[in-house]
Amino acid sequence: MDAAPSSFPSSSPSPQPAAPRPGRSALTRYAGLLAALVAMCVLFGALSEHFLTAASFRTIANQIPALAVMAVGMTFVLIIGGIDLSVGSVLAFSGAVMSVAIVQWDLGLAAGIGLALVTGMVCGAFTGTISVSLRIPSFIVSLGMLEMARGGAYTATGSRTEYIGGNVSLITDPWVAGISPAFLLALIIVMMGHVLLNRTVFGRHLIGIGTNEEAMRLAGIDTHPPKILVFMLMGLLSAVGALFQVARMEAADPNAGVGMELSVIAAVVIGGTSLMGGRGSVLASFFGVLIIAVLESGLAQIGASEPTKRIITGIVIILAVVLDMYRSRAASRSS
Amino acid sequence: MTEPQTSMPLLRLEGLGKTYSGPVLADVSLDLHAGEVLALAGENGAGKSTLSRIVGGLTSASAGSMLIEGRPYRPASRRAAERQGVRMVLQELSLIPPLSIAENLFLDTLPSRYGLLDRGGLHRRAQPLMARVGLADMDPETPVGDLGIGQQQMVEIARGLTGDCRLLILDEPSAMLTDRETALLFDQIEQLRALGVAIVYISHRLDEVKRLADRIAILRDGRLAGVQSAAAMQVEDIVRSMVGRDVGAAFDPGGRTIGDALLDVRGMSRGRAVHDVSFTLHRGEILGFAGLVGSGRPELMRLLFGADRPARGDMVLEGRPYRPRSPREAVAAGVAMITEDRKGLGLLLPLAISANVTLASLRTVANGGFIDHRAEADAARRLIGDLRIRCRDGDQPVAELSGGNQQKVVLARWLLRDCPVLLLDEPTRGIDIGARYEIYALLAELSRQGKSMIVISSDLRELMLLCDRICVMSAGRLAGAFKRGAWDQDSILAAAFSGHLQSSSQEQA
Amino acid sequence: MKAALRLILAAAAVALIGVGGAQAADAKPKIALVTKSLANEFHQTLLNGAVADQKARSGEYDLIANGIKNEGDTAGQIQLVEQMIVNKVDALVLAPADSKALIPVVKKAIDAGILVINIDNSLDADTLKSKGIHLPFVGPDNRKGARLVGDYLAGKLTKGDKVAIIEGIPTAFNAQQRTQGFKDAMAAAGMTIVSLQSGQWEIDKANTIASSLLTEYPDLKAILCGNDSMAIGAVAAVKSAGRTGQVLVVGFDNLAAVQPMLNDGRLLASVEQHGSKLGVFGIDVALKALKDKVPQNKIDALIETPVDLALKK
Repeated sequence: MDAAPSSFPSSSPSPQPAAPRPGRSALTRYAGLLAALVAMCVLFGALSEHFLTAASFRTIANQIPALAVMAVGMTFVLIIGGIDLSVGSVLAFSGAVMSVAIVQWDLGLAAGIGLALVTGMVCGAFTGTISVSLRIPSFIVSLGMLEMARGGAYTATGSRTEYIGGNVSLITDPWVAGISPAFLLALIIVMMGHVLLNRTVFGRHLIGIGTNEEAMRLAGIDTHPPKILVFMLMGLLSAVGALFQVARMEAADPNAGVGMELSVIAAVVIGGTSLMGGRGSVLASFFGVLIIAVLESGLAQIGASEPTKRIITGIVIILAVVLDMYRSRAASRSS
Repeated sequence: MTEPQTSMPLLRLEGLGKTYSGPVLADVSLDLHAGEVLALAGENGAGKSTLSRIVGGLTSASAGSMLIEGRPYRPASRRAAERQGVRMVLQELSLIPPLSIAENLFLDTLPSRYGLLDRGGLHRRAQPLMARVGLADMDPETPVGDLGIGQQQMVEIARGLTGDCRLLILDEPSAMLTDRETALLFDQIEQLRALGVAIVYISHRLDEVKRLADRIAILRDGRLAGVQSAAAMQVEDIVRSMVGRDVGAAFDPGGRTIGDALLDVRGMSRGRAVHDVSFTLHRGEILGFAGLVGSGRPELMRLLFGADRPARGDMVLEGRPYRPRSPREAVAAGVAMITEDRKGLGLLLPLAISANVTLASLRTVANGGFIDHRAEADAARRLIGDLRIRCRDGDQPVAELSGGNQQKVVLARWLLRDCPVLLLDEPTRGIDIGARYEIYALLAELSRQGKSMIVISSDLRELMLLCDRICVMSAGRLAGAFKRGAWDQDSILAAAFSGHLQSSSQEQA
Repeated sequence: MKAALRLILAAAAVALIGVGGAQAADAKPKIALVTKSLANEFHQTLLNGAVADQKARSGEYDLIANGIKNEGDTAGQIQLVEQMIVNKVDALVLAPADSKALIPVVKKAIDAGILVINIDNSLDADTLKSKGIHLPFVGPDNRKGARLVGDYLAGKLTKGDKVAIIEGIPTAFNAQQRTQGFKDAMAAAGMTIVSLQSGQWEIDKANTIASSLLTEYPDLKAILCGNDSMAIGAVAAVKSAGRTGQVLVVGFDNLAAVQPMLNDGRLLASVEQHGSKLGVFGIDVALKALKDKVPQNKIDALIETPVDLALKK
């Protein structure tokens, strides 16, 4: 702070005070996503008589925690210019370890949860370390981890759905006003992710790495540890997702989360996070999660056929990204 | 030099304009005759590139019209322009590195026999073109990626010469060429002119412009500030016309005191690029490094900055051994690097000025890992004021700034970090003349405050203007050092060539 | 029950003859078992049952047992069958991943002199006929099983109640059969099917759909699921909607994991199709035919295995 030269002729008037964070563009960003969300709700509300009810939204709220926390992790991964395809498998593996620890080893709920979280983190650390230190694209390493973790899930459970029962469901049982602790926990994680990205040195480093890693290196910042940490965080949040899912079903399914990586990436991309790295927002990803959840739930409520669901989901993903592209172009033009 | 011609111009521009979010080019009317070299001069953002891109078919004009030999000309694409004989060599290389020279030259018209690439025919066609740009002794099979950047530029130019060419646009063709290659390029331009080809030449090197061009068209803020015969203009006139005012008078290199030794470099060697280099940098000193391309200056900087490790050699910084194993350690020790490639390696372009300024010293504006946005904004605002960075505010993305102001942002980063040693590689490359002097003044001011700097530049006059001492490197060795007042251009150049004359002639570029 | 009885008799006969014959034969027959996804508990159980049986009767036959990576990996299963042809096995017991795509490679196996027995999910009858293949099918009648659990459910409901079906992957033959069985039972008892959607055999997809159905139809009385994984998802949805006991759920497969749910009534009923024995049933049919030198086209076309209701224990 005291480093700056003070003897410069400071004749030029200082620019006006810095604009309040998070700035104008952030507001328009969320406004756009919010508008899309409202439009979808109105549409489904018109098509289905029970969509616009408290019960309906309570249901959605209790379904999204896993997707929401994983989207937080994926936002970070995409921001550093990486990708993690293994999240669905890591979820299944962590859930499997948890169920085995509780049911077969009789370790109790707390130890089971702890082991699940450690499992997820170790998977993430593996992907991150291999990819970052050997400079192999995370796409490839996480593809390998996708297979390994899935195999681990089958091995741990003996390919059987493992019933846990007991008090594991406390995490996801409706609580105050029909909202589960899991949903509140997910909201807290989303907020923490948002703060981590926008208000901390760590978050700033991640954005810098995703924007221009070489510039970060030349600025004297060691870029490897934060990148590995991001993958560990992703693994940890996949395990939290597993916790939510296992608790809700009271059972660990080794086939859980197949294809989930695509839903997570879709949610994050709908939120406007760039696959090229450097640009993204945790809150916007959460809106992406809401859009996907509302779409899924709405289509199920109007009883759309499987092919129709897929076609409409695909259209919404592409549409969201196209609109976001136009929006950001318009924003950069108006500035 | 050509007399004003009364015949029909090859190309006539009438009231040409281009508007993106604001106007970048307005009301440009200009005639270009066959066999004429017209230089386009102007600061960055003056509209030179936009104008040439419109003529070359890469963008369309928002206003005005163009005529070629009296017929309306409105190319929809680069291909369409090429069909009319208008060819363009772009500033950025657009070659495909894994393909060979010959394949790159005829990318759009690759000859084939029975569906297979006809290599023989391709090479027969490539050879004369390569000879025209001085690449006669290269194998047409050589992948372009294996060539030096200057040679790649020559391939790019050769590609502009394929097929029918009546009007050739060269956008900063000499920016990356060695003197020898530049001379070859000028020969080539003379030949084309003799053949009646009209040439639009865009360059920052004003002496070059004056030597080569028949007429000089000067653009300022998107408008034509004047078109004059090159013979009638001095370099100073061109600059004044470009900037719209006098520059340079304000710069005063004096008033500096050089202190004791700060960085002592002894016997630095690495591979063939750097061999047994020793020198001492003093407190408050600006030390220049001159040399030809390939003399090992950037490689030496990488050693000083810990990006590479030396094979041999020691360094002492502020009395302590200095052996950086990574840029991080160099920065921690107080040595900062300001790269030549500002956009590619220096800045986080889409991010705000404040984020770029505080990047290397985030801890100082953070509490327990949380960034104090107020402190960050304050720091940025202070440096914006101190360095007179022209911007809206600290939240403006760096990408929206001009080259000179971007460079100031990089400088601000290291001022905030308070690094006593700054390594500057080509600190004014791509920066407008007017802004250049501001940078010079800034560097001089910093040295008065006790900062030490090592400056690499291919512009000898820049070094002579700025530095207290100039070290000359040649073929990886230190070929001489000259103090201010004891140097002249000829002796520096002689030193720069000395290593090449002794060692070998196989050095290609 | 008649079919089951017949099968058990047949199996007993096979067992008797098999034991006697094994000593007489110079070499043990080599049987290949190719099942569907080992990620699926049902098929894992099927395969494990066969492996255990071979261990117990190792003097009688050799077994090469294989499964594929996931339900959709039809190409992988075709490759497995081709490897078995190269391996010159005597008989192939196949649980096909696809009702049509496996037919060409089955024909190849038969042409190579391998006895092929179809278990679990029957290959498409019309295509088989058009290729002139006679393929004995050993397996449960999925439609019958679904009808069984559907009828049981109907007994707990009153006529006109609203019910919904969550089916498996709609292109799969057994999914279609189960859905048809559910529909038969509901139609016979006069229930109203308000929605039929696919849960893709998956726990989470079924959970999403069930949750939406519960919102959309406040007076929904039952959810019929094409397998137990989806039933677990539906049970969780019913619970989080706070309607346990008001909305009944039935499944199919009788996974170990659903036993606690059957016991406390969250899941009303499931269908046991004796998966652990299904592979052995197929192997027995193959062994008997090999022993008696019955050619492919003389084996009974349909050998049905038992399906039973799985209830609270």
